[in-house]
Amino acid sequence: MKRRDNGMEINPKLAAVSAILLTALAIPYLPVTVTQLLPFKGASLLGFLILMYVFIMFASAWNLLTYSGQGSLGHAAFLGIGAYTSAITLRYLKPEPLLFNSINLEVILTVLAGGLATSIVGVFIGLTCVRLREWFLGMVTFGFAVIIHTITTELSDVTGGHDGLPTKHLVTATDFLSRYRMEYYIILVFTVAVIYLIHRILESELGLAFEAIRENELEAKVMGINTVKYKLIGFALSAFFSGIAGSLMYHHVGYLTPEVFSIENSFKPIIYCIVGGLFTVEGPILGTVIISTLWDGLKSLGLTHEHLVIIGLLLIITVIFLPDGLISILRRTWTRSDAKV
Amino acid sequence: MDLAVLPEILFWGLYAGCIYILLAIGLNLIFGVMRVVNFAHGELMVLAIYITFFLHNILDLDPYLAFALSILLMFFVGIVVERLCFRPIMGTGKLNEIFMSLALIYLIQNSIFITCSNVDFCNDLNRIRSPLGYEKISFGFMELAADHIIIICVTITLVLMLYLFMKKTSTGKAMRATSQNREVAMLAGINVERIDMLAFGLGSSFAAAASLFWISEIPFTPYSGSINAIKAFAVIILGGLGSISGAIAGGLIYGVAENLAACLFGGGWKHATSFIILIIVLIIRPTGLFGEKEG
Repeated sequence: MKRRDNGMEINPKLAAVSAILLTALAIPYLPVTVTQLLPFKGASLLGFLILMYVFIMFASAWNLLTYSGQGSLGHAAFLGIGAYTSAITLRYLKPEPLLFNSINLEVILTVLAGGLATSIVGVFIGLTCVRLREWFLGMVTFGFAVIIHTITTELSDVTGGHDGLPTKHLVTATDFLSRYRMEYYIILVFTVAVIYLIHRILESELGLAFEAIRENELEAKVMGINTVKYKLIGFALSAFFSGIAGSLMYHHVGYLTPEVFSIENSFKPIIYCIVGGLFTVEGPILGTVIISTLWDGLKSLGLTHEHLVIIGLLLIITVIFLPDGLISILRRTWTRSDAKV
Repeated sequence: MDLAVLPEILFWGLYAGCIYILLAIGLNLIFGVMRVVNFAHGELMVLAIYITFFLHNILDLDPYLAFALSILLMFFVGIVVERLCFRPIMGTGKLNEIFMSLALIYLIQNSIFITCSNVDFCNDLNRIRSPLGYEKISFGFMELAADHIIIICVTITLVLMLYLFMKKTSTGKAMRATSQNREVAMLAGINVERIDMLAFGLGSSFAAAASLFWISEIPFTPYSGSINAIKAFAVIILGGLGSISGAIAGGLIYGVAENLAACLFGGGWKHATSFIILIIVLIIRPTGLFGEKEG
């Protein structure tokens, strides 16, 4: 399944990755003549890209859990726990501001704390799910999202209930555009780090164990893999990355309400991953970029509900004709170019 | 809590349980035969509500007659959905089914929304006024709305009819055979693809039957269906996938538990309670109450 790259083959991939990275780095400083052609301009372009990066992390985290043979229909729970942990810690501990080039370092620290707290909850949820399979697992994870949503809304003394709470921005800056620019780079760094880590995890022995459990749990057990341990590790890692994505997103947005636990947030990573291609590192990235661009692009054209009808139709066509996701087209062209060499 | 309200809560639970039962039976029929989960089931239900609503408003039909027609119509809608959407992806993996359902959810919800924004009798919150809206039937210790009693009776009738259909008719037997073993059913000369279509059509009709809940002035929007469908799915998970008696038991448990919880802890805990029950049951029995043990 996985091709080992040797000297010659690395180059085109490496070149593609660096080209994408350079483009991403250059976007905040694109000249106005270029950005005029795009549907989003100035800060709204950055705002769109920031949310897209967050969802790339989130979708990749969901994909990691699926890679270990466990599906989740309630991943919004992890997104929200990360965001709430970080926001509440900052609000009640009131740490001294640690400024570094206008970046609020204490916020970065609580983002990591949010990730850690989420992974602890993830292990707990994973423990209740160890014996469950397929739909049973999906429904229980969905249920946890609903339960955590309710608890958050009911504990209104701490969480602000339905009204939510304000969150501190990642960057202290007087004007809008420079704050967005700094936050864009911070979140880009996080995204690249998360994708790289997930890539390394899937390449490592851990990834092999995940794959073995996914393909056949009983055989994996026979081979001496401690399936329970690896399943819990899968949950913890996926929850960690989702928690980081959630807390980054809401520190950027500046306001956090229980809406974060919405069904839509649980189902979006599923859509992104399947459009892109499951069980690959590139799939979730590709899917998120394409679908979220379509989504917001059509919306910015003034199609307030029509865009969802169009997306619905496109998704149906995609899943019928490309059940393995868009990545399968790329894979096919790659193998074809390999054959020529 | 006052004990005098207990019978009333039980009745409300029974009444709310009816939509879960009808939705869950529909889902279970589809799952049993096709091994496909249709998360867009709630959207089929909403579609049925709007068909009733439009028939009632445009043709000025009695809501109950319009409702019966919408059950019939939804049978054919279900066949079309199965043919165009679910058959092409059968056997390509479980996540693709969720994906297809999500796509259908977006498509149906927003198509209804767009249609409604161009029609003048639609508002933000639509209602169907049942002709029996103000009729009450007294049982001595409590008064019950006639509509609610009709809903319970319709549910019981439909479940009995389904039971007889599955046990007595040859088509019903073919359906049970297909759900037990698809390959062997095929070898025995059963046209399984036609059975698939029939199952999906019947499932959609049951979703339409669940829309009877909205007949007595309960407001609805194009988005009313999704949470109910997911909870109906939780009901069949609770009862055990593929088990009709499990669906009935699960639906009743959910209906009663939710209404009790709403009364004891406040309305916010309604959805959470049903999932807490689900999680506890699954921790003890990983295949649900009536589910068969996996081999």
